[in-house]
Amino acid sequence: PTGRMKIILRGLIALLLIVLEWTCPGLPSPPRPICDLRVLNHFIQEARDAEVAMKSCRDGCGLTELVSVPQTTVNFDDWERKNATEQAQEVQTGLWLLHQALGLLQASMTDVDLNNHIDNSIRNLLSINAVLRSLNIQEYTPPTSAVGLEGTWKVSSVAEVLQVHVNFLRGKVRLLLVGAEACQQDVS
Amino acid sequence: MTRDQHRRLVAVYLVCCVMGTVSTAQRAQDFQRKASMLLAAEPENPKCFAEGRKAFTCFWEEDEERAGPVEQYSFTYAYQNENGSRCPLTVAPAAGGKKLFVCHLDRIQMFVQLDIQVHRESVMIHNRSLLVELVFLLDPPENVTVSSTGHQGQLNVSWVPPPLKYMDDSMIYEVMYAKEGDPAGQVEVARACSELILRGLQAATRYRVEVRVRLDGITYSGYWSAWSDPVWMETLPADLDPLIVSLTFIITFILFLLCLIVLLSHHRFFIKKVWPTIPVPDSKFQGLFTVYGGDLQEWLRQTSGGLWVTSALLYSEERPSPVEVLSELNLCRSLASPPLPPKACNASTQRDERELSNGSDSAQTDEWRATQQQHWLMERLRETRPGMGSSLLESQDTYVTLSTNNHSEEDHVDDTLEEALPLEMHVASRKTPLSEFHSDLGSGQQSSGSGRLSSQSSFEYPSQGWTPKGPGYTYMAVADSGVSMDYSPMSRVDDLGKVALYANEYKNEIPPHRRPFLTRQYHVHDDG
Repeated sequence: PTGRMKIILRGLIALLLIVLEWTCPGLPSPPRPICDLRVLNHFIQEARDAEVAMKSCRDGCGLTELVSVPQTTVNFDDWERKNATEQAQEVQTGLWLLHQALGLLQASMTDVDLNNHIDNSIRNLLSINAVLRSLNIQEYTPPTSAVGLEGTWKVSSVAEVLQVHVNFLRGKVRLLLVGAEACQQDVS
Repeated sequence: MTRDQHRRLVAVYLVCCVMGTVSTAQRAQDFQRKASMLLAAEPENPKCFAEGRKAFTCFWEEDEERAGPVEQYSFTYAYQNENGSRCPLTVAPAAGGKKLFVCHLDRIQMFVQLDIQVHRESVMIHNRSLLVELVFLLDPPENVTVSSTGHQGQLNVSWVPPPLKYMDDSMIYEVMYAKEGDPAGQVEVARACSELILRGLQAATRYRVEVRVRLDGITYSGYWSAWSDPVWMETLPADLDPLIVSLTFIITFILFLLCLIVLLSHHRFFIKKVWPTIPVPDSKFQGLFTVYGGDLQEWLRQTSGGLWVTSALLYSEERPSPVEVLSELNLCRSLASPPLPPKACNASTQRDERELSNGSDSAQTDEWRATQQQHWLMERLRETRPGMGSSLLESQDTYVTLSTNNHSEEDHVDDTLEEALPLEMHVASRKTPLSEFHSDLGSGQQSSGSGRLSSQSSFEYPSQGWTPKGPGYTYMAVADSGVSMDYSPMSRVDDLGKVALYANEYKNEIPPHRRPFLTRQYHVHDDG
């Protein structure tokens, strides 16, 4: 009887391990895709608030040098002609550029209220990167050495930077999220 | 090319031309409608709107009189960080003697600032900077359908959103519904969906439903579209609320139970009211119905009268009745009804009855007899009550006199007797059954039996005098010395069934219409 008990016990343990392996796989599963656009809408509204706050700024709200910002222009035909990778790279490049520009603003801004807005915007940019990661979009960082990157503008005022920031989020970033494959699978 | 091919080509060309003309006309009509909307909604010039992902239109309005030829005007536009371009202008007529200068662009860029300038002969007349994705003016939703949801007061509205990619979740809709005949209605808002359920509607009412669309303003923005074509629908008719029906039923059931409980707890009372017990004389006439089958004469014969007399229950139940006085004795004048003491009544009545029975029909003999009787009665009275005499009138005794009568009045007597006699008389006769009041007495006259008075009898003292009818009447006076007597009208054997009726109708009151007649003549039928 003890021999039989041992065999049965081993079988149960094996079965338990198999079941655990199914339910709790070893590798960490990818994060759940964030397809709800309300997250992005929230970021857009905060960026718009920063732009509106910037208009009331008089002193200590200027840039000392030119800043590269991504182009926000969207033509739907041209956009659809690009493939997913190109779109993702374009968006991530733009986000990187904006991150650099807002960093410069943060350093040179003396207005406390505006500094809070810029800090918020920088945090939102990092959150957008996390959202892109959840959608299985491969991370891309443009080369820092490239000076004349395509698809960039040079702006000289804080207002322009924030305006670009709003338009970029509303345009290209949103189009990328709407057209993401992970979200399309959920819909279908 | 053969002739057929040629013809086909011509036909195709004509069809295309017609379709093109139709579509052009349709587009022109649409543009006119949108232009009129924008003229009211947008204060800036030029007024621009985007209809979709590609189409973008700008226009401004000028008076026909002041406007020059289109060549004088130039429309230039430039996107941010780009070189400017020129847009070819067209002219469209407008209402109210005005002209529209229209610029239409097929290739547009969004999320970038667009600067527009309008020059007329090198003079800038209009200047505007805008973002294209913020001036959308869409077509109204199509295929608006209204259907019933199956529930009362609800309608399901569905529509097809404008076909714009990437913008479906940015659209908001307004559904306007109004009752038939009501110009103003109510508005419901729906976000990023293509159907809506209207609630709280009136039953069996026709509603007009219209839908319009706009972009939400976060990413894309614009103006409200025109209202879609109205759709009419009637709501379901009013239905009985099951809750109300069930509550009504429950309340009715509870009320019914309460009534039933009340009825059951007081059933005896209700039974008495609805079916009053008719007193049956069985208890008083023991054995009358069970043994003798209702034959009163036989029963009287068999049972002793003492049962009646000694039964205190009988007399305790029945109240003494007021007896209508027949006469008031006037001793000073003619003796109409000589009173008699009860003790002497039996003997005297026997004698009187004998005498009365021997009376003849002649008037003189009657008169003589009456006189004789009066004297005799008076004497008897004086004997028994020496102190009475004139004081008789002052006494509180009541008197009952019985008189014989002609046959002509017999029927009248019967009527008076049988109508509502407030008297109950127990007259016991050993030999003859008492069937009729007067006949019994008459028979009593013949036989030795006579009306035996019970020990209890009471009379009301008469207050009015009573004039004698004449010598044709014989009288039997009964004096009451505090003894109560009960009288009951004893009818014929045939009418025995009416005894119960009389008992039921017995009232201890003199009928009002008879009250003036405190005296009554009881006519004794002289059977001779």
